[in-house]
Amino acid sequence: MACFERASPALREILLKIHRAERPVEIDYHVHEFGSVHYHVQCSASDPHCAYLSLSTPLLSRGLTFSSHLPEHILETVNGVFPRIIETIEPSQEGYQLTLKLDFSRIPHSKASTKIITEISSVRAVILSSHLKEILTKVDSNGMYKPIKLVYRPSEPFFLIKQQAKITAVFPMRFKENEDVVIATSFFQELADVGNSEKCRKAPRCIWSPIPPPELRGESIEDLCTNCGFVTFDITSRHVEGKNLDKTVWNLLNFYTFVKYYVKSTRGFIQRRMRLRLEKLIRPLHDDVDVDQEDRRPEKKAKGCKRVKKWINASKSKIVRKRRKLMNKIKRIRFRIKIHSFVGRFRRRWLKLPKFSRVTRYIKLE
Amino acid sequence: MCKPKEHIFISFIWLKFAEKIVDPNPLISLLTHLMANSLRLYLTCIRNTLEAALCLQNFPCQEVERHNKPEVELKTSPELLLNPVMICRNEAEKCLIETSINSLRISLKVKQADELENILTKKFLRFLSMRAEAFQVLRRKPVQGYDISFLITNYHCEEMQKQKLIDFIVQFMEDIDKEISELKLSMNTRGRLVATEFLKQFI
Repeated sequence: MACFERASPALREILLKIHRAERPVEIDYHVHEFGSVHYHVQCSASDPHCAYLSLSTPLLSRGLTFSSHLPEHILETVNGVFPRIIETIEPSQEGYQLTLKLDFSRIPHSKASTKIITEISSVRAVILSSHLKEILTKVDSNGMYKPIKLVYRPSEPFFLIKQQAKITAVFPMRFKENEDVVIATSFFQELADVGNSEKCRKAPRCIWSPIPPPELRGESIEDLCTNCGFVTFDITSRHVEGKNLDKTVWNLLNFYTFVKYYVKSTRGFIQRRMRLRLEKLIRPLHDDVDVDQEDRRPEKKAKGCKRVKKWINASKSKIVRKRRKLMNKIKRIRFRIKIHSFVGRFRRRWLKLPKFSRVTRYIKLE
Repeated sequence: MCKPKEHIFISFIWLKFAEKIVDPNPLISLLTHLMANSLRLYLTCIRNTLEAALCLQNFPCQEVERHNKPEVELKTSPELLLNPVMICRNEAEKCLIETSINSLRISLKVKQADELENILTKKFLRFLSMRAEAFQVLRRKPVQGYDISFLITNYHCEEMQKQKLIDFIVQFMEDIDKEISELKLSMNTRGRLVATEFLKQFI
């Protein structure tokens, strides 16, 4: 999930744990964020009030060259956040761009401590924003400059163009999949519509165009080749006044991430809708089968009178034979003279076969 | 029975007359009416064709002994096949009904007005095709040139009621159109809300 908070949630948890620990704790944590940001937090039990925070992060730079050391003005900005609590260590730990010594004894044990630690955890945001802040604060200065190409991730450069009384930020948008391009395009059209509406008249004017804006004329072909067009924000002095500066800078820095997160969540939304719809589409077909089965079930259950069923199933000749049998039976029952056991006795007396003796047998003469 | 063009013309005249009496916004009303009317005609035509075509019977394969295969798929014996019927609403929306002695194949092409509708239709119909076993009559792969295909065999007709099968196909066509329009609309609404929230952060 994308994290749009300025403070790193993992780093804040670790620092709060150190601060709230009742006993001295030995801590040596490595935290990786967004694939390229790396924190190292150390705290020894021998000196529990002191912790060392080292940070390595890609910097917002002009072009593709990344410096391994932080410029002086950024270091000053970081030191200025909480001068009594934070102290920059020179040289920084090997493999890191910045190492800070945090003095926990000077952080009060009250509700304010969470706020201070959250501020310390947003050190990466401070470093990233400082360069952009510097450019944006010069909105009112006269004159026009060439477009400034700023790169945080190599595949996501953006341009700042100084114009009269405004700075234009241009984002060339690229996506790998065609589906993402279509979803993002529809979002940019909505963004442009909302940006030009009365509801958001105080927000920066937003334009989306499939072709590069004329201000970018002369830039390299690689930068101007996109599959999702160009999004332009017009930043005026209103957007860089006081607290608005931080918001504007952070929103511009996170614009790519925001759009990618929107595309990803929209794909999830479509998938959920389709899953729901599938159930509704199947239902009539299954109802149909159920109805059929229910229609058949009573036939099986209601067997009816066994004899009637047999009678219905029998052939015509069978029925005639059965009827004759039945009539005979009735006649016999209704016959007036009844001789009980007559047949048996008659058979025994008159139809009995004589017993023949064997030829070999002799009768003894007396 | 009048032809579709004549029918549209008659409805146009009728609406021209009616707009003077009732409707304050005649053009929109006329367009909506014509659209709804053409869809109704299209669906009725498909329904009638299906009713005529769905008279399937058990028929063993003539090529392989003790096999029973849908002839509309094999197409080995021309005497068992009927002439295919194509019903078109417009260039983008059409339906092909192929009939044989023991099976029937319906292929549909769904309208795709823009890129977003195209993506949504492809995604949705692929999603349904991958779950074809739930529909029983749905083909896993559509016929070339169409978005989705159904295969109805005589066994399906024995198992289910013919009329309800036809109702299902027609309802499915209506639902797909409706779902894609709704999905597009909700995506745009969602996008507008997100865009508003994003721009509000600057203020």
